[in-house]
Amino acid sequence: MNKRIALVIMSMLWSAMTFAAGTEYRMRVDGLACPYCAYGIEKKLKAIDGVGKIDVNLNEGLVIVDVAEGTRLTEPQMKKLFQDSGFTYRSMTETPLDGDAGK
Amino acid sequence: MSEATDRHVAHVLLAAFILPGVTAGPAWSAPITFNTALPVAQGEFLFREQLISNRSGDDPGTLDRKRTANAAVSVLGYGVSGKLAVFGALPYRDNTLRLTTGGQRVSRSASGFGDLTVFGRYTLVQHDRPGRNFRIAPFAGIKAPSGDDDQRDTQGVLPASVQVGSGSWDPLFGIVTTYQTLDYQLDAQLGYQVNTQANDFEAGDVARLDGSLQYRLWPRTLGSGLPAFLYGVIEANLVYQQKNRINSRSDPDSGGTRLFLTPGIQYVTRRWITEAAVQVPVLQDLNGDALENDYIARISIRFNF
Repeated sequence: MNKRIALVIMSMLWSAMTFAAGTEYRMRVDGLACPYCAYGIEKKLKAIDGVGKIDVNLNEGLVIVDVAEGTRLTEPQMKKLFQDSGFTYRSMTETPLDGDAGK
Repeated sequence: MSEATDRHVAHVLLAAFILPGVTAGPAWSAPITFNTALPVAQGEFLFREQLISNRSGDDPGTLDRKRTANAAVSVLGYGVSGKLAVFGALPYRDNTLRLTTGGQRVSRSASGFGDLTVFGRYTLVQHDRPGRNFRIAPFAGIKAPSGDDDQRDTQGVLPASVQVGSGSWDPLFGIVTTYQTLDYQLDAQLGYQVNTQANDFEAGDVARLDGSLQYRLWPRTLGSGLPAFLYGVIEANLVYQQKNRINSRSDPDSGGTRLFLTPGIQYVTRRWITEAAVQVPVLQDLNGDALENDYIARISIRFNF
């Protein structure tokens, strides 16, 4: 039992460390206007390996995505993803999750 | 007279059910009384179940007809691409007509699955800006005669107004537009359904113009994140139907114009939407002894998967 708990804790720590070394993408998306807009976007983003936390900020038209170390989101990929979701991708910035200044 | 009138009423009501049933891009809240504006993303499914109760009475004729048409309309949508979506709508109907004939009160009823409507919608114009979007999308489809149109009771074959199916293949087409901001949404639809002949009966074609305003009541101010929205809704439905034809002859007690005003409410979350509305007739300029609507109540739930 104790081993199982230790494994779960280690797994959680490993996961946290992986994302802590990952990247935060802040994407500006046009057309987002209600909460129901977010579901299709979240579903498509979650289908990408390494994607973790997703926040949609309607008021600012922002989709904020944390990805694990080694995962990279590209502009053409995001342009198609948002187009398939029915919205228009405009731009993105990326910031390392360890707090270093990003692009 | 009564059967012809009943048939025409049935087809007006069928059209009133079916066009909204089929009428539903990507995810916005969408109107309650029509489905052509329903949003669905590429590779996603959308399901809407709507319960509808349609009461008609105030018979201008001598039969004192009262008609109740209840329906559970299941709508399934699929996003073929970001611009193309396909939909199917299948109603389960329970129709009852009460009338006085030969000095006696008579009740006739039928229930079962009605006619299946399938249609596709293609987004021709899409303009997205921060916090707002605009779409124009034509749609086209057909109503298939999947429902029984020859149910009987002890008095014989039921009139068309009681049958759950029409027996005819009826093409439909139109255009829908949506403008949505963070505070409100406007939708409008212009649709036309060509009704064809079946069982020596041809319902008049139906043209309709629908409009919907959804205004965010709560939260009053938007902060960060993704809160659920409560919308107040007001819709208007203008429906015109040509006269029916029976054995290739025009039925004078059929067709006409109806205008409904429809207050409603809609609760919108990331994953599902629930809504309710009542269509109140404010104008009914009908031909002959056509039966007038009392009201149409709708309640529905919708989710994407």
